Amino acid sequence: MIRIEVPGFASTVQDRGRVQHVRAGVPVSGPADPFAFRAAQALVGNDAAAAAIEVVGLPFSFRCESSRIFAVTGRDITLAARDRMPAWTSVFVRAGDLVTVTGTERSRYTYVAVSGGITSEVILGSRSVYPRAGLGRVVRAGDALPLGTPRRTAEDAGHRVSFEYEGEIAAVPGPHLERFDDETMARFFATAFVASAQSDRQGARLEGVEVAPREGEILSCGVVAGAVQVPRGGQPIVLLADHQTTGGYPIIATVVGADLGLVAQRAPGEALRFYRVDRERALMRGRDRVALLASA
Amino acid sequence: MALTPRVRAFGEAALLVELGDVFDESLAGWARALADVWRLGAAVPAYASVMVSFDPELIEPEVAEGRMRDLLARGTFSMVRGEGPPVSDGSLKIRVVEIPTRYDGADLADVAQRSGMSVDELIAVHSGREYSAIFLGFLPGFAYCGRLDPRIVAPRLERPRERVPAGAVAVADGQTGVYPFASPGGWRLIGSTDAVMFDAREAEPSRIRAGDLVRFVPR
Repeated sequence: MIRIEVPGFASTVQDRGRVQHVRAGVPVSGPADPFAFRAAQALVGNDAAAAAIEVVGLPFSFRCESSRIFAVTGRDITLAARDRMPAWTSVFVRAGDLVTVTGTERSRYTYVAVSGGITSEVILGSRSVYPRAGLGRVVRAGDALPLGTPRRTAEDAGHRVSFEYEGEIAAVPGPHLERFDDETMARFFATAFVASAQSDRQGARLEGVEVAPREGEILSCGVVAGAVQVPRGGQPIVLLADHQTTGGYPIIATVVGADLGLVAQRAPGEALRFYRVDRERALMRGRDRVALLASA
Repeated sequence: MALTPRVRAFGEAALLVELGDVFDESLAGWARALADVWRLGAAVPAYASVMVSFDPELIEPEVAEGRMRDLLARGTFSMVRGEGPPVSDGSLKIRVVEIPTRYDGADLADVAQRSGMSVDELIAVHSGREYSAIFLGFLPGFAYCGRLDPRIVAPRLERPRERVPAGAVAVADGQTGVYPFASPGGWRLIGSTDAVMFDAREAEPSRIRAGDLVRFVPR
């Protein structure tokens, strides 16, 4: 068991997501920053289907009943038990030790993975929590979450994944190319946007130049995380993990999966800039990210 | 009807397959049929399109795209393209879902007036036909059902309500539906139901599934 002492304000258990019920309108969910989640899971030796805690609102603190390998990933975070411990690194935590994760205003989503994974209840094929539809609830102080069999031992501590949240964000143009003239498309890729305070797990709202579509809405279609929807006003919204399964706004571009975390982790007021890639380069970017996990 | 589907990249891990530019029940049926047979990942059908995803670490996008083109080229969808009856045998039987409805919505009188009907006529017209559940989206368990009798005039609200209660029966732009959860919403409210529209404890959590026929039964 892992016992939550200080829960943050909207922390949830997440696994890679719930794809089985998208046709019933159920969001996929999963981590808002998929790469940080995956790195944390790799560092503790968990498989791709394992669940971890996504912390929203630091500080966050917990104790574990048994000694385990942990990893905490995210942006601008520090953690400490008896002593300070490194983030993005597999660390060994002794039974009963209090671990506290702290951050800055730039720490939006933080992942706490434990070897063996969080084995909370599977609902509709996934452990990903989506409170709005009664699919689990946010983590509260005093919660004790069950754990699976550890995959790694104390000797496995000290593995590290290096990752920086700086840099431009790769996006593939479209799919609704015909709704955006060349100038608008060029403006989208040439100009820095600013992350709005009104962003959450459903989507990141951006402010800045208008990139308004021709005509208004489209016939609603199924959408994916990373889709950059543009409502009539011209201010884009990048869809994140809890996005609705369908959308009616034209989509100017789609952020590559490897860069979703760069969007999700932008704090209000921070700038972000997109650059154009084709599908082949998007795949290369994904492979480069996966290669970073080799050291885990 | 010219059917020249377009298959477009939707990032590196999904495709958007556009079957047409307008809502047509036969295109929606085709979209659902394509979603039924997509095995490489998630599939979300809508009015005239289906979004399909795949894992690019396991499947090259070109391979996924080829798979979709094969499915589009198959003749097996002639049935749902309106060239045959929608029901061929028991295995494809269409379900009819009844929604017990109290016609007590905040916009009932307004919609009746816009439509040039009495409230009783509006109730009779709305409950007097079976609707096709075109697809689900917006909220878990929210089915876009169509089409409304064209005499019902109900454009979306200019300013959406901040909170529509769970169970609200609503109409907008030729369609009708039930809000499974309290939510912001821009459709016009004509009634309410106590039916549970989405139950996470059920293996099939949504009361209405895409392709069902939906009937509103006045209470």
